[in-house]
Amino acid sequence: MSRFLDGHAGVLGRLALRNVRRQGRRSILTSLAMVVGIGLLVFSRSMADGGHEDWIDAGVRLGSGHVTIQSPDFATRRTLAERLSPTDLEAALAAVSDVGREGGILETATRLEVRGLASSPGGALPVVVAGVEPDVESRFSQLDERLIDGEYLPDGDELAAFVGVDLAERLDLQLGSRLVLTGQDAAGDISGQLVRVRGIFRSGLPEVDTRIVHVRLGIARDWLGAEGSATSVALLLESSSLVDRSARRLGQLLADVPGADVLTWPEAMPELEAAVRMDDFGDYVFHIITLIIVALAVINTILMSVLNRTREFGVTRALGMTRRDTGAQVMIEGVLLSAVSGFVGIVLGLAVTWVFFRNGLDFSGLMENGMEAAGVIIDPVIYPKFRLPTLLGSVGFVFAIGVGASIYPAYRATRIEVAEAMKFEA
Amino acid sequence: MVLLRIRERPGRPVLTSMLGLGVLLCAAGGLGGQNTAEEIVDRVDRMMRGESSRGRVEMEIVTQHWTRSMVMEISSLGTEHALIRIASPRKDAGTTTLKSGNEIWNYLPRVDRTIKLPSSLMGSAWMGSHFTNDDLVKEHRLIEDYDIEISFEGSRDGVDVWEFRLKPRPEAAVIWDRISYQVRKSDLMPVWARFYDERDDLIRTIEWSEYDRSSGRLVPMLMTIEPADKPGESTTVRYTDLAFDVPLTEADFSLRTLRSPP
Amino acid sequence: MSGPWWRIGWRNLGRNPRRSLFTAGGLAVGYAAVVVMTGLGRGMVAEMIGNGTGILSGQLQVHAEGYLPERSVHETIGGREGIDVDALVGAVAADPTVSAAAPRLYGGGLVSAGDHTLAAGFVGIDPAREPAVSAIMAAGETGRLPGAGENELWIGREMARQLDVDAGDIVVVVAPAADGSLGNDLFTVAGVFRSGLGDVDASVAFIPLDALQQLMALPPGRVHEVAARIADPWDAAAAEERLLGELATDFPGTAPRAWNRFQPEMVEYAALFESMEWVIIVVVFIMAVFGVANTMLMATFERRREFALLLAIGTTPGVILRSVIWEAFVLGVVSLTLGAILTFPVLVWWHNAPPDMSWLYGDFTMAGGLIRPVLRVEYPPEMMVLGAVALFATALLAAVLPAYRAGRLPPADTLAGR
Repeated sequence: MSRFLDGHAGVLGRLALRNVRRQGRRSILTSLAMVVGIGLLVFSRSMADGGHEDWIDAGVRLGSGHVTIQSPDFATRRTLAERLSPTDLEAALAAVSDVGREGGILETATRLEVRGLASSPGGALPVVVAGVEPDVESRFSQLDERLIDGEYLPDGDELAAFVGVDLAERLDLQLGSRLVLTGQDAAGDISGQLVRVRGIFRSGLPEVDTRIVHVRLGIARDWLGAEGSATSVALLLESSSLVDRSARRLGQLLADVPGADVLTWPEAMPELEAAVRMDDFGDYVFHIITLIIVALAVINTILMSVLNRTREFGVTRALGMTRRDTGAQVMIEGVLLSAVSGFVGIVLGLAVTWVFFRNGLDFSGLMENGMEAAGVIIDPVIYPKFRLPTLLGSVGFVFAIGVGASIYPAYRATRIEVAEAMKFEA
Repeated sequence: MVLLRIRERPGRPVLTSMLGLGVLLCAAGGLGGQNTAEEIVDRVDRMMRGESSRGRVEMEIVTQHWTRSMVMEISSLGTEHALIRIASPRKDAGTTTLKSGNEIWNYLPRVDRTIKLPSSLMGSAWMGSHFTNDDLVKEHRLIEDYDIEISFEGSRDGVDVWEFRLKPRPEAAVIWDRISYQVRKSDLMPVWARFYDERDDLIRTIEWSEYDRSSGRLVPMLMTIEPADKPGESTTVRYTDLAFDVPLTEADFSLRTLRSPP
Repeated sequence: MSGPWWRIGWRNLGRNPRRSLFTAGGLAVGYAAVVVMTGLGRGMVAEMIGNGTGILSGQLQVHAEGYLPERSVHETIGGREGIDVDALVGAVAADPTVSAAAPRLYGGGLVSAGDHTLAAGFVGIDPAREPAVSAIMAAGETGRLPGAGENELWIGREMARQLDVDAGDIVVVVAPAADGSLGNDLFTVAGVFRSGLGDVDASVAFIPLDALQQLMALPPGRVHEVAARIADPWDAAAAEERLLGELATDFPGTAPRAWNRFQPEMVEYAALFESMEWVIIVVVFIMAVFGVANTMLMATFERRREFALLLAIGTTPGVILRSVIWEAFVLGVVSLTLGAILTFPVLVWWHNAPPDMSWLYGDFTMAGGLIRPVLRVEYPPEMMVLGAVALFATALLAAVLPAYRAGRLPPADTLAGR
């Protein structure tokens, strides 16, 4: 197509443009199919991206973060014996601050987790006690947003505990209640710690609501004789797309610290990743099918316009246009049509999503009990997320359709014989 | 070791009391009038621990679903060590529990194995009784965990008693919100203890009786524990034999002695 | 404009076979999309419910009335006296939708091997009946199922890992007995399973019913549950209804419960997926309408000379309209045939030999039900019909407006080229 890159191209472009305009009705119908298709794509992609980001977000916040640094055996054993020593923890925190805010790290939560027993006069249940830094943790796990009574580990209250509603119910706890935590300490002895219930939350996940107890990191370290250490450093990133880069960087920085492993959320929570991928897969299939339908419609109209203009092409060919020129003209028409309608579709899709759904698409009417998938409660309100890669993907789709759908009609146009065409009655 | 029913009532002073049964010191002669509440309770408390003891008890457990009695031999050394061996019924005979520090080990003769109890089961019932495993291992002194004041001093049913009100210290790892504790003035013998939660609901009661000097010291030979939320249920412990200051050493409370009694 | 309807339609389509083929292709892809996607969605729901109920719980359970939610060890069916277990299992299995039923006893205690001791839940099962009810019996990785009357265990891979044992190893099992004594005995690990459910793999041990009864000092007539398998989970609610009446006389104090009562969140999930099916069909055919409508519109437009001529020689607009509708109808038939050719091989293959998609995703749970990467699509019969209806509706809808307009063309103008 070298010819139409020089002065020729202008002529072909104008011709194509004129044709698109002249065939107004057809052009509009064709672009309508594309506008609706692309608009739908943009809409459902932003909703799906938003949904997945929420999903991952909820999962990593309650779990181990986008990226977590912990001792190599902690993931499988989850006992205090597999903790980060004070020096390992220091190295880990140094690496984290090295990557820092520029690396996309929003929050750094140092946690000391231990499995133990929570007892009250009302009974005793096995729990996971997490020693946390309340100010970081309230931004990180956002469990405090699930608060239904009291407050989240209030300042100055060393013995505060934050418990789930099911635990509170089964142990007969209320605000201010004494709760004795018993667990195996760093020396291997069983030791007890008194805390007082200062807040009660409901996450909707039964395992979390019966099993999780948050206390201050300081008191957990005292109780367990684990001064200066932690079982994990959980990192929350700006977006899940930064995970691999940050993890690689941290891995390099911690390469010579054998006691500290860097895990990404798909490694730490393979279940969640599986669910997201499955859902994504379903979306992609749906999009591809939609776009095939759109593409077929576009092929059809362009092809028809080519066949309708057999005589016209015959004339232009007789006037000196080559086969290539004719083909190029049709291609330009197709791409032009796709570009315009694709652009309108993208804008329309974004606009509709923004105007009607920026405050969320609420599914809660369909789900009374709360939706669990891969161990995460799915927020029934989905907020759209506009991501540049997705948007570029949509633009790519538009061009793929435009070019793909024009190839065959363009080829047909090149096959037109001048002599035959002149006989053709439109 | 009731595992799926880990909702039994745990609590600490029972153990002290139970193991302490063997080591109650004779306190005849009493105390001077100027003693504070804490000093008195600590005195009673210390009488319940200390040296070594060896005894034989009958334990009768009454629950909604079954009733059974066991005979067991208990030996203890200080507060850190205890060995409890079941003598009857035959089905459980030889089953032995070793408390060593904060750990509980069980020896099961039928399978000839020793099992260390996981910490998550500390709250469950010991041998189906109303004691928990936790009761067995906790050994803090009362005055370390509680602020104590005399809530009553005088005559109850013709006996001169003190009644103490025990409130846990701010950081004490105990679950009770309040304990009432009655002690006879004349001989410092405990009469009952009542355990309350935050709502001031009674959760359980322990009663002591049948004080007997036959073993050379004055001790309550009978102790009964009753959970308040399960009327009709109780665990009763009765000493049939008791000796103090027996020659026991730490070696008598090892995993080896757990498997094969001396 | 004569001949049977299909010939008229066929002839019209034949004027421009390529265009017709593309149009039919669009509709066919739409049809295939609707059927395959709803089939996949139903496969997922079926997998969720199938695994959620089939791995362990069964689709229907019978308990003593007071057993739930506390699950006290003492609340066996028929109280302290117990029941004739075989008779109850037989009565449950007699329901026409129940394909198998099996008794169960629940307990808890310790499993210990070497230095490792774990708290575990015990499920006493009848090794002869249980495999027909719960799929976990078929999830073995090593060893074999425990044998009736034998002191044998069937434990999860994670528990085996934590205890550092495998099939053939001896462990100690300790369980508080119903008489207050401490049941304990040596057991052999007969086999190790992997269900994919974390909790079950880590903390549940299956023991032959009679062995567990002996350990827990319970007579043979005492069980907590009779679990039933119902091939189509959606029949379970009706079976519950029937059994409620059937069991009331011979087994008073029993309470049958279908899965939708003990796992209501799965029902909601299924409802959510069902509403998604509507979204799919509407969206796909909206796309198809745009695709087909413009083709039909153009086809009609192209033929306006022809129509004008026909009108001019006295053909009524109704005849023209009918001819266009027939054309759309034949287009529908062709599209549906094409769609069926496109859809059914995929559907049949995906249903009978589901591909392993572990390259895409691993195990995960949905409302507590396991979804595995080998996912079978289910045939969605309503969606096959509804998709076909939507396909014809789309073709006709797209044809009616242009045909109507064609019928109203002023012939003289058109012929004059205006």
